[in-house]
Amino acid sequence: MSEAVLYRKRIKSGLLRELNAMVTIAARDIILYFKSPGNIAMGLFMPIIMMGMLGGSLSQNMASGLGFNYDQFMLIGMLVNMLFMTTTTGVASLVEDRITDFTQEMLVSPISRYAIVSGKIIGSSFGAMVSMIGTLVIGAIMGISITLHQTLLIFLLAPLMCMSAGALAMVVIGLIRSNKMANMAVMLISMPQMFLSGAIIPINHSSGVLFYLSRLMPMTYCLDLVRAVVYKGYEGYDTVVMFNPVINLIAIIGLTLSLLVIGTYFYVRSEKNR
Amino acid sequence: MSSIIKVNNLVKQYEHAKEPSVKGISFDVKEGEFFAFLGPNGAGKTTTISILTTTLAKTSGELQIAGFDIDKQAKEIREQVGIIFQKPSLDQSLSAEENIRFHACLYGMYPYRPSFKMMPKAYQKSVLELAEILGIKDSLFKPIKKMSGGMQRKLEIIRSLIHTPKVLFLDEPTQGLDAVSRRSLWQYLEQVRAKYGTTIFLTTHYIDEAEKVDKVCIINNGSIAYTGTPDEMKRNLLRQELIIDAVDRDSLLAEVKDLGLPYQLDQQLVIPFYQKSPQEIIQKIKTELSVLKVVEPTLEDAYVAYIHKNGGITA
Repeated sequence: MSEAVLYRKRIKSGLLRELNAMVTIAARDIILYFKSPGNIAMGLFMPIIMMGMLGGSLSQNMASGLGFNYDQFMLIGMLVNMLFMTTTTGVASLVEDRITDFTQEMLVSPISRYAIVSGKIIGSSFGAMVSMIGTLVIGAIMGISITLHQTLLIFLLAPLMCMSAGALAMVVIGLIRSNKMANMAVMLISMPQMFLSGAIIPINHSSGVLFYLSRLMPMTYCLDLVRAVVYKGYEGYDTVVMFNPVINLIAIIGLTLSLLVIGTYFYVRSEKNR
Repeated sequence: MSSIIKVNNLVKQYEHAKEPSVKGISFDVKEGEFFAFLGPNGAGKTTTISILTTTLAKTSGELQIAGFDIDKQAKEIREQVGIIFQKPSLDQSLSAEENIRFHACLYGMYPYRPSFKMMPKAYQKSVLELAEILGIKDSLFKPIKKMSGGMQRKLEIIRSLIHTPKVLFLDEPTQGLDAVSRRSLWQYLEQVRAKYGTTIFLTTHYIDEAEKVDKVCIINNGSIAYTGTPDEMKRNLLRQELIIDAVDRDSLLAEVKDLGLPYQLDQQLVIPFYQKSPQEIIQKIKTELSVLKVVEPTLEDAYVAYIHKNGGITA
């Protein structure tokens, strides 16, 4: 056995080690994404189903008389919805890791639990970004386009939205112990958000319970922020955008951090306190 | 030698369980020691290891590893320990090398790079050398799911040692391995221990694997039932015997009686020896022997005797 076998060379800085661990966990998810035909198929077909079929049908039947460009409204909704849905699905794979005992490998490593959860969310975001690109392509095929500048701005905001989606998913996924429940949880997290946050239906006139639910959902603020960016300087801004972008940003960051702390707590607790 | 693991009054009560799985156990493991934690299924071995490796919360008790307190310094403890879990914890979708790289980077040994060739030379060298030693070099870049159970176990060993832990926890490490793989695994672990003084904490169902350990601790029904060296355990629980016979058995029997030796006549003559060595006894016997065997009890014999003596398996 040579000296190199057990040569210690640790990354000295604690922060760098945490970042390195996050990158490592995220990279694993990206490798798994490319190794899974199911994930690639989902990344290709989901935009066709969501944008092409659902979005196309809504556009053809509901777009008239709204006072703003519904196609663009719906495209933004679908982009953000795809980010949320795919990130949630990716985070749900933590349940699979738990079933195959791979979670233990991460939990015995000397890194913060936030690094594990954040790395998982970042890795899941990769699939979400692919789905987002797919949605843009389908939108372009349907004749709904946004400018390159708007596209770049959406890409810049995408990591924040994925983080928000992942943090929300963690709150639920952290409590689940079976794959079947995880699949149900993905639907339970994604569907209400799609309908209540204004992804495909304007929610300016929501009231009662639906109003409060919409205000509790991180996707509401993510969508509004993206629409504020896309519609800025265009007709319909006042009709489509509900909040000041700064308020959206504060709400997203506040909700994401809170959910991340709660989700990580649930996740660690369910692993350690049996 | 100072204690590297100190466990004091450790209790674990699972949610919804009627009684604790671990009932106030205390023990310590010295630095560099090879420690075997034995017991029947469900005795509390894996629960204890899970608590020691910080993956399971204890209900109460005090625990220190390498001078770090588990309540306040769990992260520091995780830096000091390596573990091979009872159930394999490899990612079946990744290649063998990707699994090792994941572990090494998670432990902050190296900055993550997206391919083996892009990783630092020291990492590449370590992995190739360890793979060579354990005979999995040819499978290093193949998906785990194509590897045999034995090769996967070897891979877990490489992975658990790549960050040079002070304490290595082995929870049934050879489960499912063939005899050759088991032997090569133990030879390698012996090498690591001899060279780097790694403390090994072992649980196993193959009691013969614990034959060479420094200390044995038996847990049964969540309580420590016995602690001592394997030799002490054998001496305390079982006798060493000399088995002899002769064509002229009557003459042999008469001689044994004259010498005042205790004996038991089964198919052959069984003479337990305590103070006298087998050589001393043989020297005094003049009858020509046709059978001569010295029976040294194994640790497994002692373990089974202990479990039976104490009411069998109560877990």
